[in-house]
Amino acid sequence: MSKRIEVHHVTRVEGHGDIIVEIADGKVKECRFEVVETPRFFEAMLRGRPYLEASHITSRICGICATGHATASIRASEKALGVEVSEQTKLLRKLSFNGEILDSHILHVYMLVAPDFLGVGSVIPLAKSNPDVVLRALRMKKLAGDICAAVSGRHTHPIAMTVGGFTHFPTIGELKELRQRLVDSWADVNATVDLCATLPWPKFERDTEYVSLTKPDEYAFIDGEIKTSDGVRVPVESYKSVTNEYLVKHSSAKLTKNKRNSLMVGALARFNNNYDQLHPKAKEAAAKLGMKPKVTNPFLNSAAQVVEIAHCTEDAIQVIDQLLARGIKPEEPTSVKLKNCDGVGVAEVPRGMLIHHYEIGQDGMITGADCIIPTNQNIANIQADMEALVPQIIDKSADEIRLELEMLVRAYDPCISCSVHVLEVENR
Amino acid sequence: MAVHIPNRDEKTLILGVGNPLCGDDGLGIAAVQILKERELPSDVFVEAAHTPGWELPNWLDGWSSVVIIDAVRMGKQPGEWHRFSPEEVRILYEDEILSLHQPGLAAGLELAEALNILPEKLTLYGVEPANTDMDEGLSPEVTQILPNLINHIMDDIGNRK
Repeated sequence: MSKRIEVHHVTRVEGHGDIIVEIADGKVKECRFEVVETPRFFEAMLRGRPYLEASHITSRICGICATGHATASIRASEKALGVEVSEQTKLLRKLSFNGEILDSHILHVYMLVAPDFLGVGSVIPLAKSNPDVVLRALRMKKLAGDICAAVSGRHTHPIAMTVGGFTHFPTIGELKELRQRLVDSWADVNATVDLCATLPWPKFERDTEYVSLTKPDEYAFIDGEIKTSDGVRVPVESYKSVTNEYLVKHSSAKLTKNKRNSLMVGALARFNNNYDQLHPKAKEAAAKLGMKPKVTNPFLNSAAQVVEIAHCTEDAIQVIDQLLARGIKPEEPTSVKLKNCDGVGVAEVPRGMLIHHYEIGQDGMITGADCIIPTNQNIANIQADMEALVPQIIDKSADEIRLELEMLVRAYDPCISCSVHVLEVENR
Repeated sequence: MAVHIPNRDEKTLILGVGNPLCGDDGLGIAAVQILKERELPSDVFVEAAHTPGWELPNWLDGWSSVVIIDAVRMGKQPGEWHRFSPEEVRILYEDEILSLHQPGLAAGLELAEALNILPEKLTLYGVEPANTDMDEGLSPEVTQILPNLINHIMDDIGNRK
């Protein structure tokens, strides 16, 4: 019996990726996850542009994790130029970051993943069959977007975040209103956890090397060191020793590996590496979902996102409390002294560890840039999961295999458009 | 920030949609910028939604009347525009025609309808783009028609009251 499964442009992911599986005589003959997106050349675009423009340019890499790109970009310039920022700036960045993680995870869990489990093709039939679920998602997304807008000037593509600080500040009234809405949103967060606890997550286990940032004092989203579940711990400046980017013929995105043939970044990697630092309500959510590290089922990356929805809701409330206690001061961004320099900025964006590395000349122009996107880091792991999963489900129908593989790809919440950013011509 | 206008009913929202980094796809946003510099009736509000995707229902929720401005490929000459009635808008999204951004305007409208939160009056002004490649700024054809389009929209809103 032979089956061929071809999915051209997996739906409900960002960008274009294909799945090709060929089964003949009960054996897997071919199994590939191909990235077919066109390269986007963002790193080349940065060269020759002022460092102050970099966060605005790179935030356009992604309309979902724009704040994440802007944050990593700004941190790269700040690390390069030796810029220290105020406590208020750190708190505002954290708040905005929480907003974006919430926004992205809600989008992924409700709009992209839930339809698979609820037996519908997209969020539109879901809105007809379960309008309360979709209205809840929209309500939660609106709050998340309003947090980003209040702090950084607009919902996506932050304009008020800059090297050294902010150019706009939320008012005390806005912060108080957001705090109340966050507190009120616990009912929605709890309902999200309850919904996810009922979903029939596919049973599949494959251990891999989980890679994330880590910090001594908090669940890391901005800055930190690189930690892997295989015992590696390095400063972010040594990122290349972990990411080891390489090219394969069937992908227009670069792949990464470290101790094993592949590695995984994202919510599940953060959960596995930094579980102890989750807020208590997030740990309660994890318990309801039956999750405790180390979780090795990649489908549960989406469930780890739900745990992070609880964490970021609590964290946003705590950050607002700190800001309210301190009061908001309209500060000028820290001044910058130009020099030839380079720096690495990192952030845990919704899909995993994001690295921006810039070289800046003494005229303030960027002379070199390297951006390593989470989805790139996951592509080899998706492939390895597919190779392990297909033999386990080989007796299912082609349609069932196709759906399960699509669900696997979606679980990684891939942002394929973001991952394809460099074209290198192979010498033959 | 998405607008917080109390009592949105009885009020009109003009909503610009599009990506200003994709040439003429940004015409809805450019129109909003022009409108924001004009004196508008007190019950007319203007916002740029950029590429709202699945969040379009949040922008539409509660308004009695919404006018959307966006680039739409209709096979016309660049700069030509068409006022789509609510019924025509529905045909467009049922046929999945309307879509320069994914999930597109059509999908967002369809979701709003499924959730029963489409405004009572919904109008779309679609303008044929000349160029929607990655580029800043509008084509001369689109730039030229925007003031007329805006005048027409303002007259249209006035006539509806």
